[in-house]
Amino acid sequence: MRSTFLFASCVAALSSFASAELNLSQPLLSRQVLPSTFRPPQVFKNANLVRTTNLDKAYPRETINVVIENIDAKPQSKYYLPFESSLLSRVGGLEVRDKKDAEKGSFKVEVVGFDAESSTEFYLIHLPTPLAPKAQQTLSISYSVLSAVVPVPAQIGQSDKQYVQYTFSAYTPSAYLTDKQKTKMKFPNGDVPDYTTLPADLNTEKKADPQKQGSTFTYGPYNNIPAGAEEFVSVRYEFTKPLTHATLLERDLEVSHWGGNLASEERYWLTNQGAQLKNHFSRVEWQKQSYMNPPSSALKNLNLPLHPGAVDPYFTDDIGNVSTSRFRPGKKEALLELKPRYPVFGGWKYSFRVGWNADLNTYLRKLATGDSYVLKVPFLEGPRAGEGIAYARVHLRVILPEGATNVKYSTTVPLVDSTTSVHRTFMDTLGRPTLELHAINIVDEFRERDLIVTYDYPWTAGYRKPIVLALGLFAVFAVSWVLGSIDTSIGKKKKA
Amino acid sequence: MAATEGNTLLKQATGPNIRGLLRVIILVLIAGAAVSSRLFSVIRFESIIHEFDPWFNFRATKYLVQNGFYSFWDWFDDRTWHPLGRVTGGTLYPGLMVTSGVIYHVLRFLTFPVDIRNICVLLAPGFSGLTALATYLLTNEMVTSPSAGLLAAAFMGITPGYISRSVAGSYDNEAIAIFLLVFTFFLWIKAVKNGSMFWGALTALFYGYMVSAWGGYVFITNLLPLHAFVLICMGRYSPRLYVSYTSWYALGTLASMQIPFVGFLPIRSSEHMSSLGVFGLIQLVAFVDYVRAQLPSKQFQTLLRALVLFIFVVAFGGLVLLTVSGVIAPWTGRFYSLWDTGYAKIHIPIIASVSEHQPTAWPAFFFDLSMMIWLFPAGVYMCFRKLTDEQVFIVIYSVLASYFAGVMVRLMLTLTPIVCVASAMAFSQILDTYLDAKTPVPDSKESGTSDTAKVAAAVVVPEGLRSTRSPLVGIYSWASKLTVVGASIVYLMLFVLHCTWVTSNAYSSPSVVLASRLPDGSQHIIDDYREAYYWLRQNTPDNAKIMSWWDYGYQIGGMADRPTLVDNNTWNNTHIATVGKAMSSREEVSYPIMRQHEVDYVLVVFGGLLGYSGDDINKFLWMVRIAEGIWPEEVKERNFFTPRGEYRVDEEATPTMKNSLMYKMSYYNYDKLFPAGQAQDRVRGARLPAQGPELSTIEEAFTSENWIIRIYKVKDLDNFGRDHQSALTFDKGHKKKKPAKRRGARVLRVE
Repeated sequence: MRSTFLFASCVAALSSFASAELNLSQPLLSRQVLPSTFRPPQVFKNANLVRTTNLDKAYPRETINVVIENIDAKPQSKYYLPFESSLLSRVGGLEVRDKKDAEKGSFKVEVVGFDAESSTEFYLIHLPTPLAPKAQQTLSISYSVLSAVVPVPAQIGQSDKQYVQYTFSAYTPSAYLTDKQKTKMKFPNGDVPDYTTLPADLNTEKKADPQKQGSTFTYGPYNNIPAGAEEFVSVRYEFTKPLTHATLLERDLEVSHWGGNLASEERYWLTNQGAQLKNHFSRVEWQKQSYMNPPSSALKNLNLPLHPGAVDPYFTDDIGNVSTSRFRPGKKEALLELKPRYPVFGGWKYSFRVGWNADLNTYLRKLATGDSYVLKVPFLEGPRAGEGIAYARVHLRVILPEGATNVKYSTTVPLVDSTTSVHRTFMDTLGRPTLELHAINIVDEFRERDLIVTYDYPWTAGYRKPIVLALGLFAVFAVSWVLGSIDTSIGKKKKA
Repeated sequence: MAATEGNTLLKQATGPNIRGLLRVIILVLIAGAAVSSRLFSVIRFESIIHEFDPWFNFRATKYLVQNGFYSFWDWFDDRTWHPLGRVTGGTLYPGLMVTSGVIYHVLRFLTFPVDIRNICVLLAPGFSGLTALATYLLTNEMVTSPSAGLLAAAFMGITPGYISRSVAGSYDNEAIAIFLLVFTFFLWIKAVKNGSMFWGALTALFYGYMVSAWGGYVFITNLLPLHAFVLICMGRYSPRLYVSYTSWYALGTLASMQIPFVGFLPIRSSEHMSSLGVFGLIQLVAFVDYVRAQLPSKQFQTLLRALVLFIFVVAFGGLVLLTVSGVIAPWTGRFYSLWDTGYAKIHIPIIASVSEHQPTAWPAFFFDLSMMIWLFPAGVYMCFRKLTDEQVFIVIYSVLASYFAGVMVRLMLTLTPIVCVASAMAFSQILDTYLDAKTPVPDSKESGTSDTAKVAAAVVVPEGLRSTRSPLVGIYSWASKLTVVGASIVYLMLFVLHCTWVTSNAYSSPSVVLASRLPDGSQHIIDDYREAYYWLRQNTPDNAKIMSWWDYGYQIGGMADRPTLVDNNTWNNTHIATVGKAMSSREEVSYPIMRQHEVDYVLVVFGGLLGYSGDDINKFLWMVRIAEGIWPEEVKERNFFTPRGEYRVDEEATPTMKNSLMYKMSYYNYDKLFPAGQAQDRVRGARLPAQGPELSTIEEAFTSENWIIRIYKVKDLDNFGRDHQSALTFDKGHKKKKPAKRRGARVLRVE
């Protein structure tokens, strides 16, 4: 059977499938390994550094605005940003821009590491234009740290407030001398029962350290902090919201030219990293307090804003449909309200899948010349939640129609890997070219980022399947006719 | 069905080709109707596996698809019957799983990414279409009228008696077994008619498939020999019978022995002895027949007849002797309950506790078969009039299946095909007679019969009977034709309405998902089972052992994917009784049992909040009875009844009841949901004691939204070596009570 189809497909092959693709974006594949004796050349200094740590969400979002100055004699373009190696694996979405010229796009960054024993690793930032000696440039480095806050106490009652703790270095880690720096912290509210106070003499202004102003704390300013200096501080603050963390998100986008449809399916493996229940779950207590709807550390529902025009949504998990969902189609957005089967408390898990269809026309455009198409889809369409959602790994697959060639993509989301493979389904002969993109440590702020895929799809490729099917059926009929007309009877032939 | 009548109408006017095409189209439409009428539950709910046993079949199919056939064959499942495990590969009928597996792999080969769950859900409706086809073939062998087959197919397609076991999602052995049953019978009739070894071998092949699919194959194993035996007794022995029976028996027995679960049963167990006996008998008869052909002496014949009788008696005596001495396994308990409906209740409570093993109530026949139940005897009677070899089969089948259907609700399923065949024969007789558009010409009466009258007469009354030699039969009046045909059409319509109504209302609920109506009429889904099972699946360690009553074992294995102590494969009564004892005893007794079986979580079903009557408190007496069967000293059913013989859960409940683990788990914390003293059990309509039960050795871990499923975690041993009760009182800050003092106080109170 298969050989019949293969043969038929060869006959029907109207265009050849080329597997070699060129991609516009470079994923973070290269990971230079440096000897442990490596120290970043001291060619820069940080003239002024302001770090803003935003703790509004379940993950800290750090923004470092730093004025760097070339103190070398030659123009320099390699700026190193150190991280502890355990931290580095949890840092995600690191982007560097020129503060003065943010429109220019983000700079190229790559991870460089030492050999296994070393505890420090670096992000290497390539400045697009080398910085002349004595010249200054303002960098805006932003990143988020996943699994960075831990609930303290680790176990709470079902309707208790949840407090989480964040530990970091008051001196912003840097590979260079920092002239002047401070760290601003933004808490979700003013309830910050515990925080490390640093001695006032460390502080340049000899004031109490940190400085409190409502829900904003400021550590620093500090002067002349040498490279690699660290001063660990912890803050503990109220955060009675779920710490939603997706250990894995698989997202499939399937393009169908015949059906004019873009089918999306997302599979989530969620876990709540919040404080665990001190006692077990009590339904009585839950039902009693559900009338008041107080803030809770349990994940009760998830709202997925879909693009307008999304239809046929489904919400299932390993054992079938989850009946507690609601879909509200609208002009501006189609809201898919999901309610997990049970409230997801700290330490609990919940995995599920959602999917929907959408009209392809709103995402796909044919270029005026040639057979090229441009597909513009959001890289991430996860739930929108005030407290934020962190994705440890995101696997995105874009399944293009059979016969598409010359697949290229571009996105501003930092990727770690990208491959092109072949996905065979629904009577494919060659299989559909599939673009697989992998990203790690992504947060829901990346929802708005687009993925642009371009590919060539000659009109003849669309007719491959009908022809193959017709030939295949014809072959089946022919074979059965031939087999049916063979006389296998033993003995004399009966006369009809 | 209107199309069926259309065919009869058109029959006279059209050529054989058109008729053949019409017949194919009608059969396809019938198959389509059969499939689509089984899809209520998919449309109303979702594509989901129903009830209990199908969950095991589904899990086994998934295992087969993932691990391949050979590891499925050798599958030792350590996630059920903890800590015993189950040699699953050797203790199941693999036909169903293998069928789905083959379909799955064929579809995969054709690159259709169909989920195995959807194959399993839609397997039963798909096979019901084939059953309709097989019924058509079987009926066509019985009568000459081609419309009877089509009617029978239509009846089979939509009759509730068969739909009850083959709606979408009811992925059970019966899903394919009924098709195999009917088709095997068709092949057998074909073999007997033709005396063909080819058809006999095909019968054996499908018999082998049937053996691999359902334990009900014993029905075929006994019905075919009975048919042969009756034919011999009627003096209808023929070489055709000899060829078909021997080729079926030899090949079929070999085929059935290939299934590990059956193994050597066909030569070791009493259920299979009749086919072996008839096999021996038919050899003797054939021998006698041969000798008689050679020696035409009458005395010799008498001698031989005596010899045959003697050998038969000796063989039967030997069989009894072997059974008594234990070489041949005696009848199993489930088989005894076929003869004595009270047997199971006394000796094997575990069989009696299953509702589908109960004797059938009368209304069930009308419910499942509707108008066919009164057409059926008419059809059987018509078989008596001609009584050809194949019609003898109908008679035997009807008698046996009617008896069995009366004994066990579940066996209504084996009755349904023959009811469809017989009533279709009766019904088509009516239609054939009255739908004949041509009026017989009156003046041709004198000259015997006109051609049309002959046709009509031949259909109505077989030739050869004295009264019909010069028939004057024919319907002359249009009025009587219209009346009868109109009435028949009304009956058929009512039948369709009834079938649809029953299917929609009675047989299309998945029972995993419950549906209710909100005040505004919209559907509200109560999904507590899956909520709790999914919680277990996601938030407990992979090897956490779950103890529950055996009803939920397969569901826990399938949906929660956790090891269970007992499940619906009730092969080990003692193990089930152990669970029953743990549930019905006091905590101090239950805790060591649970520790010994490494139980991590206990799951109970409680319907008190919602009024869901299928909960564990209502099943509790069966747990008690089964436990009592093993430990009559420790668990006593009487102690769960009040002195007045009532089974109560309120203030009046007996101390044994109130202290039992099941009672405590069901009502723990339930009173806190109500104002003090107002707690109400909506299933049993009882007001519960103001003071709710307290638990010391287990703690509540999860309760589903409507409280249907409650999961408790078994506490670890106390860190200070205390027993849990005293640890609990210490934690509460109470003084340690001295037991001696308490006992004294109680004595005082009694006085």
